[in-house]
Amino acid sequence: MVYIGRILKFALQDIARNFGLSFMTVLILVLMLLSVNALWSVRVITNEAVNLIKDQVNVSVYFSAEAGDKNVSEINKYVSAFPEVVKVDLQSAEDVLTSFKQRHSQSKDILGALSELNSNPFGPTMIIKTKEPGDYKKIIKALSVPEYENLIEAKSFDEHESAIEKIQNITSRTEKVVAGLVLLFACISFLIVFNTVRSAIHTQRIEIGIKRLVGASNWFIRGPYLVESFMFSILSLAASIGLLYFALRFIDPYLSVVFPSGFSLTNYYNSNILYVFGVQFVCVLALTILSSGLAMRRQLRI
Amino acid sequence: MITIEGVSKIYSANSVALRDINLHIKAGEFVSIIGQSGSGKTTFTKLLIAEEAPTKGRIKIGDWDITNIKTNDIPFLRRQIGMIFQDYKLLPQKTVYENVSFALEVAGEKSHRISQVVPQLLEIVGLSDRHNRYPQQLSGGEQQRVAIARSLAHRPKIIVADEPTGNLDTINAEEIIQILKKINEFGTTILLLTHNREVVNALRRRVITLHDGHMTLDQEAGKYIL
Repeated sequence: MVYIGRILKFALQDIARNFGLSFMTVLILVLMLLSVNALWSVRVITNEAVNLIKDQVNVSVYFSAEAGDKNVSEINKYVSAFPEVVKVDLQSAEDVLTSFKQRHSQSKDILGALSELNSNPFGPTMIIKTKEPGDYKKIIKALSVPEYENLIEAKSFDEHESAIEKIQNITSRTEKVVAGLVLLFACISFLIVFNTVRSAIHTQRIEIGIKRLVGASNWFIRGPYLVESFMFSILSLAASIGLLYFALRFIDPYLSVVFPSGFSLTNYYNSNILYVFGVQFVCVLALTILSSGLAMRRQLRI
Repeated sequence: MITIEGVSKIYSANSVALRDINLHIKAGEFVSIIGQSGSGKTTFTKLLIAEEAPTKGRIKIGDWDITNIKTNDIPFLRRQIGMIFQDYKLLPQKTVYENVSFALEVAGEKSHRISQVVPQLLEIVGLSDRHNRYPQQLSGGEQQRVAIARSLAHRPKIIVADEPTGNLDTINAEEIIQILKKINEFGTTILLLTHNREVVNALRRRVITLHDGHMTLDQEAGKYIL
């Protein structure tokens, strides 16, 4: 306990004596964490936008009027059995007709032409939703078999295919850019912390030399620098969380306009607070300890 | 106390600091080690505190063979050897009291013991009334006395003083030597590395002469002869 107390005391003394350097280290870490949070937020918003669009995308299968209930029910069971399928909505021929009449209630020509027919020209419609847009191809392929060709008049997926591919491309590229930027910031922070600790050790080399001479153990010499790394991590994380929540107060009103579902970044961070900031803390701590460790290994050879 | 058997320190073929040194220093001795610059005095000190390892030979402190001492054991060795330097090596931002207590703090001594021991040490070197001063507020002789108090913090069996009077005038140098003699009277072995002829001649104690890495002379109650 005496040892730990003294290590803490020496760490606090070092921070106070090198206040400018300590402040700069925390500032750089805060900037790195803010950049990470900005990128994290961009990713969350992108995912939300993609999910919103994906949610609006589905495959509509239009059956011919001759397709009987038994056949439609059989195809419904067949499609529902796919693990990729999340939901299947089936509209009867009557529902489709009613919907059509409602959509064209202002067009007398269309309604007149429809009344000329003695029977319902529409067949049932099946709306299929899958987990991923890429799964639609599999479903379309499964339905493009000779047994069903006479029963299915049209499938509407082709209209969405290029849009979905574009979204997937954008998402994949965004993720790559985000990962690259996070890596770049991590490298810059590593070099800054490494050099900060190295210069702190360099300026205190006389004191370190005296510690050695009077019989301080290696851990007693290294301890304060490790404690400083821990303190820098805690301080920078606390400051970045404060700044992030401050910024979210201005960002969330804009998001509520774009996302009618009521999506809010504040809610996202509140719900994932332990995960998001826990991961960031562990990463910053690992970064500072690693860079301090390397700087010490070079400077504190006994 | 200190046994050195066939010790050589060779940095390279052109740089040999010590060559085949053999000597035994008994507990409680006051030994002056003299020699010109580059004679191997500093290397001798570095070997004793395990700052460097000998290329050949064996070094023993008491029964402890420190020739190939483990890194983790070095701090324990250094707590048994008090070091005094020409440039004092005091921490400028710490007071006299803090400079002495620092040596005990890094060794994990309890606070109440530190508050007992430090005033005693300052009393020994005659600096009780200056405990709140900073090194830059003291004279050279006073700074060296702080360094002596610090070297005594762990109650070492050996004190190695490397040119302790090098930066001091005659009066202050004499004071420092008197303090070292007083410490020696209590049984602590003193190794004085110096090239101060007057000091060595006045002591009339054992004198070991180093020249170009060789031990050329070992005199009981000797004089400064190079």
